[in-house]
Amino acid sequence: MRWLTVGCAVLSLICVCNAQAQTKPAPAAVSAPVPALLPAPSVAPGAISQDAQRVYEGARDKLVQIRTVLRNSDTQASVGSGFFVSQGGLIITNFHVASQLALEPDRYRGVYVPVDGKEAPVELLAFDVQHDLALLRVKNSGAQYPSFRFRGADAPLAPGERIYSLGNPKDIGFAVTAGTYNGLVLRSFYPRIFFGGAINPGMSGGPVLDEAGRVVGINVSKRQDGEQLSFLVPAEFAQALLARGADAKPLTQSANAEVTRQLLVHQEQLTQRFLTTPLKAQKHGGYSVPVFDDALARCWGSGRDADFKAFDLERTNCQMDSYLFAGDITTGLIQMRYEAYDGPKLGAMRFSQLYGQSFGNERFAVQGTRTMTAAECSERYIERQGLVMRAVVCISAYRKLVGLYDVSVLVASLNRPTQGVQGRMDARGVSFANGLKLVAQYLDGFKWEAPQ
Amino acid sequence: MNPLQDMERASPLATETGGAQVDEDQVRLAPTGLLGMVDVTDRHGNVQARLPITRWPVTVGRALDSDLVLEDVHVAGEHLRLTPARAGHISVQVMDTNNGVVLGGKQYVRGDVFDWPLGNPLILGRLHLNLRLANSELAPEQRLPRLLWRTSISTIGSVLLTLLLTSIQLWLKIGDTQNMAQELPVVLGGALAVLVVWSGLWALATKLFSGQSRFWRHVRIASLAFVAADLMEFVAELLAFSLSWENVGRFAYLTLVLAAAVGIYRHLLVAAPQSRRGLAVGVTVFVLLGMSTMWGTQWLKNKRLSNQLYMVQMFPPGWRLPIAKPVSVQQFLGEAAGIEKRLAKRLLDKRDESGADSSADEVE
Repeated sequence: MRWLTVGCAVLSLICVCNAQAQTKPAPAAVSAPVPALLPAPSVAPGAISQDAQRVYEGARDKLVQIRTVLRNSDTQASVGSGFFVSQGGLIITNFHVASQLALEPDRYRGVYVPVDGKEAPVELLAFDVQHDLALLRVKNSGAQYPSFRFRGADAPLAPGERIYSLGNPKDIGFAVTAGTYNGLVLRSFYPRIFFGGAINPGMSGGPVLDEAGRVVGINVSKRQDGEQLSFLVPAEFAQALLARGADAKPLTQSANAEVTRQLLVHQEQLTQRFLTTPLKAQKHGGYSVPVFDDALARCWGSGRDADFKAFDLERTNCQMDSYLFAGDITTGLIQMRYEAYDGPKLGAMRFSQLYGQSFGNERFAVQGTRTMTAAECSERYIERQGLVMRAVVCISAYRKLVGLYDVSVLVASLNRPTQGVQGRMDARGVSFANGLKLVAQYLDGFKWEAPQ
Repeated sequence: MNPLQDMERASPLATETGGAQVDEDQVRLAPTGLLGMVDVTDRHGNVQARLPITRWPVTVGRALDSDLVLEDVHVAGEHLRLTPARAGHISVQVMDTNNGVVLGGKQYVRGDVFDWPLGNPLILGRLHLNLRLANSELAPEQRLPRLLWRTSISTIGSVLLTLLLTSIQLWLKIGDTQNMAQELPVVLGGALAVLVVWSGLWALATKLFSGQSRFWRHVRIASLAFVAADLMEFVAELLAFSLSWENVGRFAYLTLVLAAAVGIYRHLLVAAPQSRRGLAVGVTVFVLLGMSTMWGTQWLKNKRLSNQLYMVQMFPPGWRLPIAKPVSVQQFLGEAAGIEKRLAKRLLDKRDESGADSSADEVE
């Protein structure tokens, strides 16, 4: 539930870009509304319902709801779903469902609620921040639990194959939704299954099964700016976590160090990937600015804002589709933005005023929070191949995840009286050294090529 | 011509005459029989009582047998006795009073006898006593306050300058000059309204304290303070940009504080001209207290004195001076590496956490 609030905040950026860029496609479906009572012509509804029913019947005793509960007041802080993966009472769920147990075990405890409704405590054995998975175990239990089997890597799903997502959406009750397997998400930093079906807050951590009732993935997130655009963690990562953590001792201390370690591994991979994939050049007037390679992230652009008559403004927004979740913080991503101004009619003085206003309205962490320090900045005029720019680097440190930083660089070209380009790159959750490396690569991508 | 002045010139110089002769002088120079006039005013200069003097000595007090009867409970039954001394001076004898009298900041108590150089008010109780002798020189006739060309030009000039700067600011900020015709009257009208209301309030205060409103003087002060603030801020920002002195830019708001402080001091001085030093000290203390409170809060909260993290104001690229030499990306990042130490300090300081909790732990 928390996840989807967080996810929305980040994804809304994408939503906006999406909406701006895709104004043309007409909503074809809306034009011919189908009466709700008419049966869909091609697929017999009875068959689906029977399949879903069979899957649900086979799964209901292995399916659980996971709650984190405030120790003091006994009120629940978050709810998600989970499922048994061993007879010994091992449960797989999302890390973002169980993160409070990892980060603040003295304030939160975990319980699971099976379909028949008897609540019992669970403990956290291991987690995988990168793939958003956690391994729990029923506390002090000698009982035998029915458990799911995983679909093996030797039997890959085919696109279009029907799969079933299970969980407890919004704490309303256990539910099963049918959808389709659509392969892996393009440009996801870690493999994610693109599930064509509806999942809702509270279903996070629930299993997604094939027709035979084997686990193929775990519910993790969805896009709020579309319909039935849902994402699953492939089952192989849950199997790996199970293999790694089945015999682990339960975590009783705050696991900040382990979360930090995993995030450091992630940022190292992320930085290496970005540093080894050359940035592309994007042209604005005579400027060339660096943007992500298509394999890493998508950029959305918008040109010539009609609201501003006196000058041209082109905007570009590039963001990775994936990010990590570490308790309160969304992290582990890189994004960049550009604004290219051209105002020959404005004159140098008025242009510079406007340009300065745009440069000044960037937001950085003026104030510290519980999780982050306030930003510290460094600024200079810099020159690259004859192009003079004003550059500002602002960095905040993570308070509890020691060694991780949010690194931002803001840059504005200063070579033309009535023309300029401003850029910003944010790398969230990187080491200090890697942050500066990414900034260096970014700044090296700026060029001035005299207009033809 | 003033006949009294002529007589004064004709008579021997008062200071050269002996004490005995003074009395004769006084008598001789009072052709109407009037030796002088005592005015009693309250602190605001309103006349409470007035006594034509026809004989010496003059007794002052609350008792009804005094020559000058004062209605002030802080005055004794017989408070003072005035007798003429050498020319232009009166000898004051302090009688049976607890409060005594004050002259030029000096307190005289029961039994004191002192010389009163006329012109300074004698303060007893809550009242001020002023004495004018028949033979003392009159202050020259003052011109009625007239519309002076120079003053009106400077008033009009300063208001026009204010409006001009406001227009320039609007012109610089406005994206589309076609909107200028619509927005300019609104903005200028707003600026004028603020100026009038501000000056009007000061004029009210001035009227209260000194009896005159001096509205136009306040208009001049307010507009000049605005112009000065604007220009100083411009200069500070220009310095910051052209020399890459980012701290000057980040603290450019101090020029506003300075201009406001000086402006308010000038306003206050018009309202209460007698306490120049007190006002200067007061305004300085007020500004220092205000600034230290603001900085203190900001420091406790954010560990920095300016909430502007970086230099914002931009000017045309050509205005950057060659001294503000751009550096290579490597050098820039070498300098930025120093941020790590600054952040380590922030991490050590737990008070920095006081900021808003970013986590929104909501179930749904």
